[in-house]
Amino acid sequence: MSNQHTSTLRVPLVSEERTLGQLTEEICAPMERKPSRMWWVAFALAVVTLAVGVGMVTYEVSTGIGVWGLNKTIGWAFDITNFVFWVGIGHAGTLISAILFLFRQKWRTSINRAAEAMTLFAVMCAAIFPVIHMGRPWNAFWVLPYPNDRGSLWVNFRSPLLWDVFAISTYFTISAVFWYFGLIPDLATVRDRVKGGLKKAVFKVLSFGWTGSSRTWHRYETVYLLLAGLATPLVLSVHTIVSFDFATSVIPGWHTTIFPPYFVAGAVFSGFAMVLTLMIITRVVLGFEHLITIRHLENMTKVIIVTGGIVSLAYGTEFFIAWYSGNPYEKFTFMNRAFGPYAWAYWTMVTCNVVSPHLFWFKKVRTSPAAIFVLSLVINVGMWFERFVIIVTSLHRDFLPSSWSMYTPTVVEVGTFVGTFGLFFTLFLLFTRVLPIISIGEVKSVAAFARGSHAPGHASHPAHGSETPHEHPAEAPEPLPTPALAAAVVRKDMPV
Amino acid sequence: MSAETKVLDSWVLAEFATPDALVDATRQMREKGYQGMDTYSPYPLHGGSEALGLPPSRVPFIALGGALTGIVTALAFQTYMNTIDYPLNIGGRPTFSLPAWVPITFELAVLLTAFGIFFGLLGLSRLPQPYHPVFESEEFRSASTHGYWLSVPTAETTVKPDDIKNQLTSLGATHVTVVTGEKE
Repeated sequence: MSNQHTSTLRVPLVSEERTLGQLTEEICAPMERKPSRMWWVAFALAVVTLAVGVGMVTYEVSTGIGVWGLNKTIGWAFDITNFVFWVGIGHAGTLISAILFLFRQKWRTSINRAAEAMTLFAVMCAAIFPVIHMGRPWNAFWVLPYPNDRGSLWVNFRSPLLWDVFAISTYFTISAVFWYFGLIPDLATVRDRVKGGLKKAVFKVLSFGWTGSSRTWHRYETVYLLLAGLATPLVLSVHTIVSFDFATSVIPGWHTTIFPPYFVAGAVFSGFAMVLTLMIITRVVLGFEHLITIRHLENMTKVIIVTGGIVSLAYGTEFFIAWYSGNPYEKFTFMNRAFGPYAWAYWTMVTCNVVSPHLFWFKKVRTSPAAIFVLSLVINVGMWFERFVIIVTSLHRDFLPSSWSMYTPTVVEVGTFVGTFGLFFTLFLLFTRVLPIISIGEVKSVAAFARGSHAPGHASHPAHGSETPHEHPAEAPEPLPTPALAAAVVRKDMPV
Repeated sequence: MSAETKVLDSWVLAEFATPDALVDATRQMREKGYQGMDTYSPYPLHGGSEALGLPPSRVPFIALGGALTGIVTALAFQTYMNTIDYPLNIGGRPTFSLPAWVPITFELAVLLTAFGIFFGLLGLSRLPQPYHPVFESEEFRSASTHGYWLSVPTAETTVKPDDIKNQLTSLGATHVTVVTGEKE
């Protein structure tokens, strides 16, 4: 028997030979050394941006949402756009950690931790918008079904806005549990490395006394598989429910049945773009190029091509149905989107989301971090505009021409949005300092030694059955993959 | 167990050079009749639970329990609140509108399942554990970074610790030690 977690026929996921001890050293290094000057500059910038956001929100809450550019016709604009934008970005984390896990995509191991953290931070940013949009955020708890002295006037469970409350809060909780659960073995690793003091005490508590026992790993793998199985439908349900906020209304441009898959694909599309943006910076700054390799980046760009294709198809379908349904209101809305006063936003969206991902068909572009970085930013701009176009252009030409209106964001709205980026990056930068941003345990299971070439960390002792893979290629490859859900029932060993 | 009657519990710990050597040794030790062994590694061992002869995990049943609790709870409170206690007439729609209950039912089922298996795992594995005899050994710290360890409790066998040590060494252990700690 051989402890192989990856096929010998594949390109290695960790591109340089490392022993287990070296991997641990490297991944823990950023949290053990003093922050670099670059980190301080970035952190200062993020905190200043966050302060701008806090100032804007304080001003808005103390004055009223009249400080926003909303009017009677356009009741949803910048805030809900930002809400959907951030929730969408959050989806990539769960997709990488859950869906790719079920599909046994081992390359996820070096990016899943950071992507999951990104999910949590993005959902935090998203949650700000509906709450401040209430105008009186101190009453936000009214959305919860709690016994009250208004006769116990309960919330309306037929409202998609209420579904959203449950969906987003569940999503945040599950993402946090999933993330923390994956962290426990690594927290134990950090605990065992730290010499003493407060840090040791903190990690002792956080790691729950993890020993790396097989009895625990045995259950751990089952729980991880089940959590992945739960998070997969959850991530699809969350953006589905977000799209219901629009689809269940009777506004032309919103009232369409394709919204759920269209929104989910868009969420993954923008989420992967954001993961790429962050990872390209992180791998260079922290020197993780051999862990987050070009191959990882390339795989993510392929996901972007696919989801970008689905999004493009959705744009086309919407337009086709607007014409084919024969509904004059629907047709008008779409003609107005493409050729009305917000045409510039529509064509920005089309350029960024429909045209730009196709550059990834070229291997040169897919393997150039600089090109990927630029395109990932372009895609995120495009996805922000997609939500803006859907929300604002559907509302601004109302059924009655007398109530037609235009929307321009105010400084407060822009400042709030910029502020959420401050929050996002502040949290992400702190995360890179206090926790291992790559899953140490998972990377070890896919590291070079797992290909059977030599024993990990003990190069002097030959591994049991350490024939070179080329001599006995038939023994080397992984056993045939079991379907993930069947595996959950019969509990086959599913290496992470 | 009162604080005065400290029961000492001693375990033989053995480090192996490779995961395969550990899995092999574990299987052979189990075939010799040792009970209550455990292996420790920085990542899940391929074939580790089979070598220890662990039964399938009970976690999936906890998950099922969590899911059913979530479904029943969500359907019950939505029906009670919007159909029985305070019927809300929203555009003449039926006050018992089951399809509209589905999203929240799904979310709550997922939430309670996840909580169930997360806390279920902690319960089954007795985590958080503030103390474990293996923590007495300084070398054992490598189990979370690069070491592959096997523990054999001496309480459940009549074989002398020194004999166990010899057996483990002959199975290829690179480092053997005995730890003595308090029993739970």
